Amino acid sequence: MRRAPDMESAPAAPVRIAGVDEKVLAEREERVARHRREVLFDVDGLHVSYGEVPALKDVSLEIYRNFVTAFIGPSGCGKSTFIRCFNRMNDLIPSAAVEGTIRYHGADLYGQDVDPVEVRKRIGMVFQKPNPFPKSIYDNVAFGPRVLGRKDDLDGRVERALQQAALWDEVKHRLKASALSLSGGQQQRLCIARCLAVEPDVILMDEPASALDPIATTRIEDLMQELKRSYAIVIVTHNMQQAARVADMTAFFSVDVAEEGERTGILVEFDRTDKIFTQPSDQRTEDYVTGRFG
Amino acid sequence: MTAPRATFQEALDSLEATLQEESQLVLRSLRGAMSALREQDVELADEVIAFDDEVDARYLALEQGIESLLARQTPVAVDLRLVLAILHINLHLERMADLCVTISKLMKLARGYEGDPQVLESFEEMGLRAEEMVGVAMTALAERDLAAAESLLELDELIDRANRRLVRHVLEVGGDEPKREWGLRMIVISRCLERFGDHTVDIGEQVAYLVTGELREFSDASHDATD
Repeated sequence: MRRAPDMESAPAAPVRIAGVDEKVLAEREERVARHRREVLFDVDGLHVSYGEVPALKDVSLEIYRNFVTAFIGPSGCGKSTFIRCFNRMNDLIPSAAVEGTIRYHGADLYGQDVDPVEVRKRIGMVFQKPNPFPKSIYDNVAFGPRVLGRKDDLDGRVERALQQAALWDEVKHRLKASALSLSGGQQQRLCIARCLAVEPDVILMDEPASALDPIATTRIEDLMQELKRSYAIVIVTHNMQQAARVADMTAFFSVDVAEEGERTGILVEFDRTDKIFTQPSDQRTEDYVTGRFG
Repeated sequence: MTAPRATFQEALDSLEATLQEESQLVLRSLRGAMSALREQDVELADEVIAFDDEVDARYLALEQGIESLLARQTPVAVDLRLVLAILHINLHLERMADLCVTISKLMKLARGYEGDPQVLESFEEMGLRAEEMVGVAMTALAERDLAAAESLLELDELIDRANRRLVRHVLEVGGDEPKREWGLRMIVISRCLERFGDHTVDIGEQVAYLVTGELREFSDASHDATD
């Protein structure tokens, strides 16, 4: 784009040979539409502590529908603690205390009248280690709908969930086989299908691929791209490259060490994933993603 | 389920499509510049100059797309070679469009002389050859065609010869000072077209790298006495 200086003086006129392409305009429109954000969770000033020990302090961010949002950061940064706040899993730990607010569809998730069990129907979760029930493949997926009394067209629900989890073709001839006969990657997709069967609108994934081999990992990552068309996906991962590959938004958490040695998780930076991995705003993020973290 | 890493593949395909689109814009720029030169059409020359923004927009989009892809998708092997080839070809195309702008600006500065038929004929020939070379280079890329990429070196020899002929002719014409200034501008335009051809050869080298994995120059310019 640099030109010889004596060339710069010639004046330029409006373009006749150019004309902006209709196709290019349409693509631009579509890109904008795709990036229109619908807030599903609005987190404001969240603190979590276990007894006297603070685990996470002052976290504020938003989770959007049809986005994959990744939480990354070193061990002890509170990212797993944080993801467990979204379906009130921390309620199951007696000493855990959550302060601040998480609004889900605009309503306070920790409000007096909110039933945590109801919350977990809408907000499914997948864990690091695949944890199918020691039952048949079919019964694993049918479990949720049965418990919720949604027994109409159970076969259809099971098939749809397995299709969405990209597992149907591999198991359709052996639905009565034990879930434990599946490979690790298949078991993880079964757990995702189990989530989907109750028709949630958010899927939380805590290290969903860290126990899997690279091929099974790729399948889970591809699956996330499929699922985000219908759901919001939130993922905790140790694997930065995984966040880079799959996430639209990335939150980087770190550990704040107080003078007394107390370690608390903090949110350092939350931004578009390409921003985080090309030009992060915070030096601590830069140090982490470039592998120069302490 | 879709093919593995569908998102990544889509991003790669989209980069390559944008590069092809950029080359089409460069072709339009070249045709515009040559037509303005032939017809002494100042208005068209101005349009070519303004049109460069369109090429620059693609250039920047590709730079940003590649930055993001490298940071997020960690391409390796043939994917990495493709990304690197696109990165280099992108710069060549952007430079080629700049050469068209330079030709248009020189044409405006050199107006007022009745066309020298031999000069016009040379430009006509060089313009058509340059156009053909863009086509060969970009098709070679699209089809991963090593032989087509390598054929650019021979095509470039023809444009080089036309350039040398034009330089000799302008020197022979000589004339008074304004005429010599005109001649100088014609030589620079010719040089632009010759450089345009060189860029297509460089694109061919990138195609060869993509196909074979081997980075090499088709010819060693530092040992080429005729350049």
